[in-house]
Amino acid sequence: MEDLLKVFKQDKGEIVALKDFNLDLADGEFVCLLGPSGCGKTTVLRIVAGLETKSGGHVFVNGKEVSGAGPDRGVVFQEFALFPWRTVRRNIEFGLEIKNISAEEREAVSSKYIDLVNLEGFENVHPHQLSGGMKQRVGIARALANDPAVLLMDEPFGALDAQTRNLMQKELLRIWSATKKTVLFVTHSVDEAVFLADRIVLMTARPGKVKKTITVDLPRPRERTSADFISIRSDVLQVLDAEFEKTMMRERSDVGVEHKA
Amino acid sequence: MKSIIRVAKEGVIRHWRRIFLSTLSIALFVIVWQAYAWYLNANDPGYAGFIPYPGETAEAFIDSFVTEDPTGLLMTDHIFASLKRISLGFLLAFAIALPAGLLMGSNRICEALGMPIVEIFRPIPPLAWIPIFLVVLGHLWGPVAIVFLGIFFPILFNVMLGVKRVDPLLIDAARTLGAGRRHMFFKVVLPFTTPYVMTGIKVGLGIGWMCIVAAEMVGQYGGGVGYYIWNRGEFGHYDYVFAGIAIIAILGILTTGVASQVERRLYIWMGMK
Repeated sequence: MEDLLKVFKQDKGEIVALKDFNLDLADGEFVCLLGPSGCGKTTVLRIVAGLETKSGGHVFVNGKEVSGAGPDRGVVFQEFALFPWRTVRRNIEFGLEIKNISAEEREAVSSKYIDLVNLEGFENVHPHQLSGGMKQRVGIARALANDPAVLLMDEPFGALDAQTRNLMQKELLRIWSATKKTVLFVTHSVDEAVFLADRIVLMTARPGKVKKTITVDLPRPRERTSADFISIRSDVLQVLDAEFEKTMMRERSDVGVEHKA
Repeated sequence: MKSIIRVAKEGVIRHWRRIFLSTLSIALFVIVWQAYAWYLNANDPGYAGFIPYPGETAEAFIDSFVTEDPTGLLMTDHIFASLKRISLGFLLAFAIALPAGLLMGSNRICEALGMPIVEIFRPIPPLAWIPIFLVVLGHLWGPVAIVFLGIFFPILFNVMLGVKRVDPLLIDAARTLGAGRRHMFFKVVLPFTTPYVMTGIKVGLGIGWMCIVAAEMVGQYGGGVGYYIWNRGEFGHYDYVFAGIAIIAILGILTTGVASQVERRLYIWMGMK
């Protein structure tokens, strides 16, 4: 996949959230987008997903420019966003129903992904009966069932407790290596980014652009306590801390500036 | 396992306590009624006829099903006539309010076009139309039209509310899964709105019963429980008037009960409960 990304967005009051944001994702690559809150990382993801309009620039998926949401880009939401009236299986089959795929084929596909995310036995259960981790398994399976070119994940484990979160990170890597999907993963957790990513893209705040790209060249499964892990982690933190301080400074001065504007 | 059994037992106890308290509540009401009827008979016999004893009312209740009233009808005929009007009014209101609510909830132009008319007609009590509807539309469709107005607005407003409250996150999710306008409507908006529709129906049915009684009291032909109450009142048969009132109460409870059951089944079927 050739995914060139250049996005430019202006909010009301002419706040430039993103400017000259460029990012390419290689086929099958796992990229984490990391930055201080309000740096526009979620905005990047929502623009790629087609959920938010861009004020300039282009998004390409497999060399084709995309505009608006579409099933070629699967999204996993932090709040799961499952349809409460649909069972696990019917949630996963949602995209297939829209594609007018026959019932037998739908069942074959959904069974495949139910197996992949380890939800056997919960096919006919409704979301409210599931734990957070299991809900997100459904969310991942639902996005994958459409066989998207890229999987966009917006802090997908942000609503989970620490243990479940670690487990789900391992599960995601297993699912990723099984499906070989390109993943764009938004997070504010340095630990999560170093654990998951091939490449970590650090963003500057307002206007958001790529500040630094750090390649994580560690074999998986990664050991959080290993020296290499900790060293990369501190590299990332250093860049992030500098950016965070700048944001704080700006926010302080913004209080005066924004009233005038 | 043990704890499950204990919970089940507690559930049963709570259930029986509930039944006991409900029975007690009704028993207390009947006792107060009986006492008041005694009091009137002893101290104010002139008014005693208006408040018959509970026993007399019960007798009248049973008698209304077996003996023809002054108009030559049995209570079952009246119940049938009222149910027919309520059903027609309800079906018409539902058939129009549901699509209108969906349309006005999802389309700004439709809302802007519809709201002024809705706001003009909504505050008018449906009963204000009695003099016109009963003359123009007759003894069947006149009351039906009044019931229709009573049921229409609660359904319309609840459906509109439901459509407007559709979780934007679910809209986002559906969009990324490839849903266009048609799929969004049938696979997201409509199922999301269903509980709101049911609330509208329940509120509407309650108002419907209030309307039907008043509409029938004025109407003179074709029977109906409202008409029965009015007619018996003119003859001074107050025990039968009370029996008619009890019938209305029971019918109201039954129809709302049926709606609640439908709602419960619907929620279970949709997996929302």
